[in-house]
Amino acid sequence: MTTVALDGRGAERGPEAIVAGARAAAAEGIRLRVFGDPAALTAVEEIDGAELVPAAEEITNADEPVAAVRSTPEASVVLAANDVAEGRSQAMASAGSTGATMTAALFALRRLHGVRRPALAVQLLVPGRPGPPTLLLDVGANSDARTNDLVQFAYLGAAFSQAVLGVAQPRVALLSVGEEANKGSADVVEAHARLAGAQGLDFRGNLEGGALFAGAADVIVTDGFTGNVVLKTIEGTAKTVAEAVRAAARSGARAAAGGLLLRPSLGGLRRQLDPDTTGGAILLGLRGVAVVGHGSSGPEGIANAVRLAARAVQERAVERTSKLLEGSGMTRGELRRESLRAGMRDRKGP
Amino acid sequence: MSNDGLSREEVLAKVREHLSNELEVPADGIDETTRFRDDLDADSLDLYELVMELEGTHVVRVTDDQAVNIETVGQAVDFVAQRLGAGA
Repeated sequence: MTTVALDGRGAERGPEAIVAGARAAAAEGIRLRVFGDPAALTAVEEIDGAELVPAAEEITNADEPVAAVRSTPEASVVLAANDVAEGRSQAMASAGSTGATMTAALFALRRLHGVRRPALAVQLLVPGRPGPPTLLLDVGANSDARTNDLVQFAYLGAAFSQAVLGVAQPRVALLSVGEEANKGSADVVEAHARLAGAQGLDFRGNLEGGALFAGAADVIVTDGFTGNVVLKTIEGTAKTVAEAVRAAARSGARAAAGGLLLRPSLGGLRRQLDPDTTGGAILLGLRGVAVVGHGSSGPEGIANAVRLAARAVQERAVERTSKLLEGSGMTRGELRRESLRAGMRDRKGP
Repeated sequence: MSNDGLSREEVLAKVREHLSNELEVPADGIDETTRFRDDLDADSLDLYELVMELEGTHVVRVTDDQAVNIETVGQAVDFVAQRLGAGA
């Protein structure tokens, strides 16, 4: 049975959402250790399969993540990460500060052997298209990515897509400003060249932003700065369009009648676009599993974050990622040697 | 496992072993003058992990200011040896 360490602090919708989400996940047989304020989370003790672990402190979005993780060892997110590192839990999930969650996980769980930079990945559900979600990474772990980081992200994403999302042979693409191999930043062009001849990967070339939801790739790779802008743009656009549809449906009697007819379909669409549906992002490239839930997660979002963490453990995502990287010769040492052989010294400094 | 009380030579051996394994470079190519950034392509995260590994902890006890001043393997050995109370 999988045990997930759940951060019980920091969720925008409060301890009620944590408790309800924990209850839903525990009902499916996932064991939970919930770290947080005992006074606010007493209801956790009534959940069969869940244990409340007192955590006296909280790291908020206002805190500088690295300094806060260093200086607050009793913070709930730090204790949750350490719980995984020390083997009491097999995965962690938090809907608190994204930066603190990533930092706590990075320090406690450490990078997978051969990985230089872990990447944050999100699942994009494509409206109207059944089947597994498209994985987009990096969406914020590294604002600056080198050529070889992009290459490794491709493998991290492919391994996760295969192991957890059930895509037998994930199609991988690089996000760029044109489909041609020579389009994009110097790092993207070089990454394209490396991936075009890479082993163990179904690389489909470049993909433009307009094709993100076209279903042409199962894994879309970019640097964390671009990925974060893309993700926030998608979320903002979806919200604006949803508000516009609602306003249009209330603009008159005929529109209201049409809106009523469309309501069931629009409800399904809203569910697909709701971040709660996927449970948030997952930090790939660590020696353990860490899920970064959406800050505004409700009970369903919390439960899905825990489910995602548990599924990654059950499907041995970490081990399979390691095997793919090592087997394909894409560890940081191999990539560095290949860069030197090709006279293509990785472009940016550390 | 505690590494307290290791001699400086023993700390150096552990540092070389850790760096060789994590950065995938031959251990015989690492000596006290080897530079983290320029020779090993390592960064502050590698240094944090090195110190955490040798101190047997999940807590990062290296500050950014300390990390900036550790440029070579020898300086890292001095830093760790001092904290572990190593003998000469």
